[in-house]
Amino acid sequence: MKQLKHLPLEKNHRSLGGEMNPFGGWEMPIKYKTSIVGEHMAVRDTVGLFDLSHMGEVSVKGESAFDYLQRVTTNDVSKLAIGTGQYSTICNMRGGVIDDLIVYRVGEKEYMIVDNASNADKDFNWLVQQAPPDVEVEHITMTTLLFSLQGPNARKVLQKLTYFDLSRLRRYGSNAFMEVAGTRALVSRTGYTGEDGFELLITDEPPSNPVRGERIWNALMHAGESVGLGVCGLGARDTTRIEAGLCLYGNELTEDISPLEASIAFVVKLDKGEFIGRKAMLKKKEKGLSKVRIGMQMIDRGIPHKNDKILKNGKEIGYVSSGVFSPLLKIGIAHVYVPPEISPGDEVKAKIRGRACSAEIVNFPFYDPERYGVKRRGAA
Amino acid sequence: MPEGLYYTREHEWVKLEGNLARVGVTDYAQDKLGDVVYVELSEVGKQVKQLAESKAKEMELGAVESIKAVSTVHSPLSGTVKETNATLQERPELINTSPYNEGWICLIEPSALEAELNNLMDAKAYAEYLKGLE
Repeated sequence: MKQLKHLPLEKNHRSLGGEMNPFGGWEMPIKYKTSIVGEHMAVRDTVGLFDLSHMGEVSVKGESAFDYLQRVTTNDVSKLAIGTGQYSTICNMRGGVIDDLIVYRVGEKEYMIVDNASNADKDFNWLVQQAPPDVEVEHITMTTLLFSLQGPNARKVLQKLTYFDLSRLRRYGSNAFMEVAGTRALVSRTGYTGEDGFELLITDEPPSNPVRGERIWNALMHAGESVGLGVCGLGARDTTRIEAGLCLYGNELTEDISPLEASIAFVVKLDKGEFIGRKAMLKKKEKGLSKVRIGMQMIDRGIPHKNDKILKNGKEIGYVSSGVFSPLLKIGIAHVYVPPEISPGDEVKAKIRGRACSAEIVNFPFYDPERYGVKRRGAA
Repeated sequence: MPEGLYYTREHEWVKLEGNLARVGVTDYAQDKLGDVVYVELSEVGKQVKQLAESKAKEMELGAVESIKAVSTVHSPLSGTVKETNATLQERPELINTSPYNEGWICLIEPSALEAELNNLMDAKAYAEYLKGLE
């Protein structure tokens, strides 16, 4: 059995009461001393802090870096000025997703890709394979730390630690190098919870001696104390992203599902020119999609889980890709794949542990965007 | 943990009340589960069998679901389900906050109490068992 990788700050998480479990080849905190529900609500009500140093990072540099990335990713890299980033995917020739990721432009001919821990090696091998000789593709995962600060108070907390005016970073993807707690980091206005937030990347950090990372982590914990910052594990990461309607690779995205079926067509710019998967996706668009991702909220009690079947008029029409009890709405919610004719407001049944439970099809996000999320009323 | 109760290796507790037996899950179980968000109760009148080596549907009393996992509750005794705790539908968190009192799961009318009690642990034995798990 392959050895689990360990976060550079693992001892910090253990002393905070982190319950560790394997995820994507890493020993990760699923929750801390409180509860997943408590951590989830910290993100929605004030601010949560996640250590996501398990995620993959790839540095891409070179003369033809732009042409290369334009060809291997589905989103339009020509829209990236220096200091911006975009959510995107790398796809195979069938239009299936190899991974979903973020592409940051950090220099004239320099980019950084942040991808899923579970796919870090797969992605890197693919990217190297596709790269022309003048593009340098470097796996910097093991020497890069990543912290995510998410919630309505994220900016307030981070601003205490830097002279950089954070309002200059726009959502989604604006990034800049700056000193945080006197330590250089790449900060981007990105996140995976639906709330406003920032992600901090600390590169060239020796994993066995993460002095700079620890300094920033402790500074964030301290700066967040006055607003009740909650340290959050993967449990709350999953519940918040499900509520926000965001995909998880392995559930909503696989090599057999395209961004079109996954309802993230905005990351596919079919008109930008040739890219891997374009032909297949054009064909899909022409033919029409047989299943698309949408939200489902339970009417009956019961919590839907991955692979539970969805029924309409007694017939199986689809399946659950992710399901959870929503700590905010206090009801079961799920991402489901169903035929495109199924619309918000339609009633379906979810087969949960043998019982057919009533549910309603809904749009994402599950929460009221006036009260929660990045566009909440009163947001800065 | 409370004296006078019997315990199973699956972390259920049993309290004898006259000719009935009240069943719930222990503090250890609720702690491991985390926030309980949903409880599935069996039908009143269901005939259940004491959990044996090979698990079977007739040994199931229901399920307790937390954000992290679903855990089947198995019957510590054979008999008939006389009453289930309907409050758990609205307030599943009672299993976390009051696992031995308000978080009770069901009342069973045992059919082979004398014999089957021998298969359960008392408080001391359960405490020893827990030590062995850590």
